[in-house]
Amino acid sequence: MPKLVLKFENSILTEVPVGAKEVSIGRSPDNGLVIDNPAVSHYHARVFTEEGRLMLEDFGSLNGTFVNGQRVKMVMLKAGDSVAVGKHTIVVSESRELDGFAGGNAKGKAAAPKINETVMLDTKERRDFLQKVAAVGESAQVAPARLKVPTLVVRKGKTSRREYTLSDKLTVIGKSAMATVKLKGWFAPGAAAQINRREDHSYYIGAADKIPSVNGVPIAHPTKLSSGDIISVAGIELEFVYRD
Amino acid sequence: MAKGYRPVQQEDETMAMEMDFGAQSDTGCVRENNEDSYLAAPEMGLFVLSDGMGGLESGEVASHLAVDAVLAHCREAEANPFLPLTGESIDGVSDASNRLASAIRLANKVVHRAAQANAARKAVGAMGATVVAVRFAGERMSLAHVGDSRAYRLRGENFEQLTQDHSFVAEQMRQGNMTQQEAGESALQSVLIRALGVDTDVDVDVTEELVMENDTVLLCSDGLTRELSDRQIAAVLGDADDAQEAADRLVDLAKQAGGGDNITAIVVRRAPQPAGVFARIGRWFRDSA
Repeated sequence: MPKLVLKFENSILTEVPVGAKEVSIGRSPDNGLVIDNPAVSHYHARVFTEEGRLMLEDFGSLNGTFVNGQRVKMVMLKAGDSVAVGKHTIVVSESRELDGFAGGNAKGKAAAPKINETVMLDTKERRDFLQKVAAVGESAQVAPARLKVPTLVVRKGKTSRREYTLSDKLTVIGKSAMATVKLKGWFAPGAAAQINRREDHSYYIGAADKIPSVNGVPIAHPTKLSSGDIISVAGIELEFVYRD
Repeated sequence: MAKGYRPVQQEDETMAMEMDFGAQSDTGCVRENNEDSYLAAPEMGLFVLSDGMGGLESGEVASHLAVDAVLAHCREAEANPFLPLTGESIDGVSDASNRLASAIRLANKVVHRAAQANAARKAVGAMGATVVAVRFAGERMSLAHVGDSRAYRLRGENFEQLTQDHSFVAEQMRQGNMTQQEAGESALQSVLIRALGVDTDVDVDVTEELVMENDTVLLCSDGLTRELSDRQIAAVLGDADDAQEAADRLVDLAKQAGGGDNITAIVVRRAPQPAGVFARIGRWFRDSA
């Protein structure tokens, strides 16, 4: 009788035999093989026997099911095949033991706590919780890509300076007292555009009195800036650049 | 209905002319009590919202403590500009923004102390709260928050969420482990990774925004955004005649859509100033007379 061996990063989590009854695979606890991971759909796929053959069918899952690297919808399985579901692997193998092993709880991992009301976690609890629920091995914190501060270099137009360091979370381009990039001219708008630094240290340009263009294209909504982008607004042109 | 603060008097005429604000809060259709609190102190340009959590009345107590503490600290700082900041000063933002962050750190300590007192008396469970606060000063808005209560801004056609949720699912989404749809269906979507009252210190997200005429800012608890889409919310904000009407309609619609949680909305709209050169000259004459 074949069995499905659920693995995560070389650790065997559980084994489930495939008998006459099909084995459904997914995140929902009522599956035969439960994989508690966000990358796995509630009802992801199933393995069943048909006319003596072992078959795998994907239920149209979001992230797909892959057999030996190939994304499949319905395919025949043989011993040794490796089925990838999210970040887990299911190895198809011939069971030589009696099927006592897979008795009892066939869940792949401890179930995540079911939470209806808002819950806060303190630091240690949070780390433990993230270990249980999120894919093990993923880093829970992403360090900001760089803490370098970018510069705006004035390429065209009249401003108070030729270069501005974007050291503030909010930078205003305009004539008002609040503006860093000060525009000259009686009719210059108080605030032509704004640049915001977000928590991940990325910079976004947004419209104020005017709609700025980035590399010639007027922005439809606040837009992330990359090194080398040319901003034009209110008659001036600025290059956004990270200097090394 | 959660208790809010109504301004005692609008002393600053300029502020009263420039800001139109409104607020509404409701228990919703499912919960037994309202654990949201909010306050509007327009004379200081300050608006605060908090969503409390904890057993029995702990949630209500927590959110009240939070908004009261933020207001108290800001009031104290008005009277005494040399009042020390709670916690470290943040680079790249104004003093006003640092003061708001300081107020929230102080609120955290207050809620934390109350939670510990609860625990000492073996009273029910943990106690915590989210908080989102804005403070307007001229053309600058300081924005600070902890948790998953949000700030949005409608500017023209553009409706933008200004805060990042401190929730487990939002962090998973940011790291690419979860799609928005999965986050919306997740059993874990209410789990916070940052909140007031959990620890002696808390990391407050602080940012600043430029305020333009006709900008509409919305502060809301997750009870609103769980029921209504961004498009629906933006439509209400754009259509309403004034801020109070917008706040009332948002809460109403959220209840009609299910009202699964407490719902609170604060709407602040920067009213248009008389525009143009001639108005400016007119004002200059008036001011110099």
